[in-house]
Amino acid sequence: MHKRSGKITVALVVLCVVLGGGYVVYAALGPNQTTTDAKPTAGGAAAVPVMVRAVDRRSPTLNGRVFVVEDGEVRRRSKDLACERVYYAGGHGICMGVAPSGVEYEATLFDSQLQPTGKITLTGLPSRARVSADGRYGAMTVFVTGDSYLASPTAFSTRTTILDMSDGEQLAQLEQFSVTKDGKPFDAVDFNFWGVTFVPGDDDRFYATLGTGGVHYLVEGSVGDRTMRVLRDGVECPSISPDGTQIAYKSRLGSQPRWRLRVLDVATLEDHAVAEKRSIDDQVEWLDDDTLAYSYGTDVYTVSASGKGAPQLLVRDATSPVRLSPPGQETSALGR
Amino acid sequence: MYQVEASKVLLKPRLWAARSARLRVPRNVVMLGLVSLLTDVSSEMVATVLPLYLVFSLGASPLVFGAIDGAYRGAAALVQVASGFASDRWRRPKGVATLGYGLSAVGKVALVAAGNTLGGIGAIVAVDRVGKGIRTAPRDALISLSSAKDRLATSFGVHRAMDSAGAMLGPLVAFGILFLAPARFDAVFVVSTLFAVLGLAVLILNVEGKPDRTPRDAAAPSFRAALRLLIEPRFAPLLIAAAGLSVASVSDAMIYIGLQRSIDFDPALFPLLYVMTAIAFMGLAIPVGQLADRIGKVPVLLAGQALLFVAYGVLMMSSVGYLALAFSLVALGGYFAATEGVLTALAGALLPEKLQASGIGLLITVTSLGRLLSSVLFGALWFAVGLQTAVVCFAAALALAIALAAPLLRCAQRAAVDA
Repeated sequence: MHKRSGKITVALVVLCVVLGGGYVVYAALGPNQTTTDAKPTAGGAAAVPVMVRAVDRRSPTLNGRVFVVEDGEVRRRSKDLACERVYYAGGHGICMGVAPSGVEYEATLFDSQLQPTGKITLTGLPSRARVSADGRYGAMTVFVTGDSYLASPTAFSTRTTILDMSDGEQLAQLEQFSVTKDGKPFDAVDFNFWGVTFVPGDDDRFYATLGTGGVHYLVEGSVGDRTMRVLRDGVECPSISPDGTQIAYKSRLGSQPRWRLRVLDVATLEDHAVAEKRSIDDQVEWLDDDTLAYSYGTDVYTVSASGKGAPQLLVRDATSPVRLSPPGQETSALGR
Repeated sequence: MYQVEASKVLLKPRLWAARSARLRVPRNVVMLGLVSLLTDVSSEMVATVLPLYLVFSLGASPLVFGAIDGAYRGAAALVQVASGFASDRWRRPKGVATLGYGLSAVGKVALVAAGNTLGGIGAIVAVDRVGKGIRTAPRDALISLSSAKDRLATSFGVHRAMDSAGAMLGPLVAFGILFLAPARFDAVFVVSTLFAVLGLAVLILNVEGKPDRTPRDAAAPSFRAALRLLIEPRFAPLLIAAAGLSVASVSDAMIYIGLQRSIDFDPALFPLLYVMTAIAFMGLAIPVGQLADRIGKVPVLLAGQALLFVAYGVLMMSSVGYLALAFSLVALGGYFAATEGVLTALAGALLPEKLQASGIGLLITVTSLGRLLSSVLFGALWFAVGLQTAVVCFAAALALAIALAAPLLRCAQRAAVDA
């Protein structure tokens, strides 16, 4: 009995090797692109040129190429640059997306000509990217998942890295910063940080979100001192205005993953809602001191930060809007 | 991919010959180890890429993945007790195990056929979890019934080593495929299905359903008899000791997070912590099992538990070097090697033959609930009083649990001899 069943088993093994190997070869020879050829279309006009990344409606997480929308026209500025999340300021940019392997994620750093200057392997799924206005620091947030060896945590957590944009060096992780709340040290096992925004005209300070125990705190930090302090709760993905006086953020509705955009006065910490009534899961970008840009679904919209007016379509089939300085200024070397 | 599979085909007869010659492990145990190895390759392949697949191909947010995964964690524990009793009651451990392995294989086929909707994937993950819950107790009962009582720990050591080898190979195979065929998750699912089918085939074709220690004449045990295990003098002390030990043991996941926080560690290397522990576990499982058969399962089990103190000690250090890190990971692997299989072997030796699967099912449920409680407690303590104080509390609790386990286990062994 052993002999016959042994023979059948060996035959099955051979069959499975042939079938499995054959399928892998077939898949390896077939289409396996990680970048979409989709192109955004302009849906409105903005006062400044806006950089976006294209989105394929059918596969929204494929890498999209980087485009610049200016005067109602969409132009592609780079042959190769493609990703899920892009940011650019002060002559330096970050483009985070799927690596060519399809299973890893990587960030491409690029210069004002949109030429890649370096690559960083990411430890999770791209979430948020920011560069300080002077182009000195960058910040990347990724979603990390526990590995599945033995018994492991399968819950997602986030990890945020601060970069030196001049050479791409990873300076620190926000998880390593010391945090204070009401003047006292604050620490817990479930600390998660995301959504950094650098204070313009200040080469050290930033704001970010600290999530712990179901509460989302707005923290203010110093890159040099490696410290952060809690300012208030209920703030996710802060984004500071170009003049540094206001912070736009997403405010969670109950415990659900649904959010409303709100704007906070930095001096008084008082805040108000904006006219966008849909749930927005994005780190907002300021196009000027009164205009917010953000993605909803696979399109980019703008709305006034004052709370008045109504949301307006800016670009179709794109996400990750980035304000580029108006033509004539130094940082607009981009593509010109 | 070709190479991995081909070398395994070559390896298999040699592995079997080497093991059976030197270790004298029953053929059934090696075959069950092979079934677990193949099935673990299959399920770890999917587990490795599923988060990526959900987010990459379906555009789901990570939160959705968390919900899908978390939804079925508790279900498996309850299924274990029921499947253990069912396989004793029907006296068909192989049949019940086949059902469990079969469900997982069906789940993989469904993933290939219908894995493009979130609801579909949720259902498939649920089926897979239930399948895992169903198969564990009857499979361990088969291992136990296939081995002489004085060779139990070696048998479980061999099985656990093969099992964790599969868990290590799975991600390698998955990444190998995606390296050759980028973003082609369908290829991963197809190969995973083939591994699952192969595992099921080895089980059906090569595993003896009524091994040597199977009770030949006994009547089918009643539900009452299975329930009475909870107060049985030769088994209840083991359950109590196991519950205490599992609650006082900080989960490896928590230890990794703690280690990562106390050293300046490149997060990209985080999975290496799992890999190093798993390698140590794999390498030590067999020799530790042999040791337990030679000098006694209880001292090896308790010494293995005490290895956790090494990991606790390293967590207490204010700065951790790479040497201390490696040391604590090897200790953690040794802890798994000396407790995972040895505890089940001990249960196999203490339990009456006709209630093996029921008892093992109870034991697995008790320890997994204990671990869950431990994680919740440790997380809460860490949050409330900080990592170092939490570790001190758990170290004290572990010392107490070991001190209590020693007389409890001796008591159970004495009762088993008397019975």
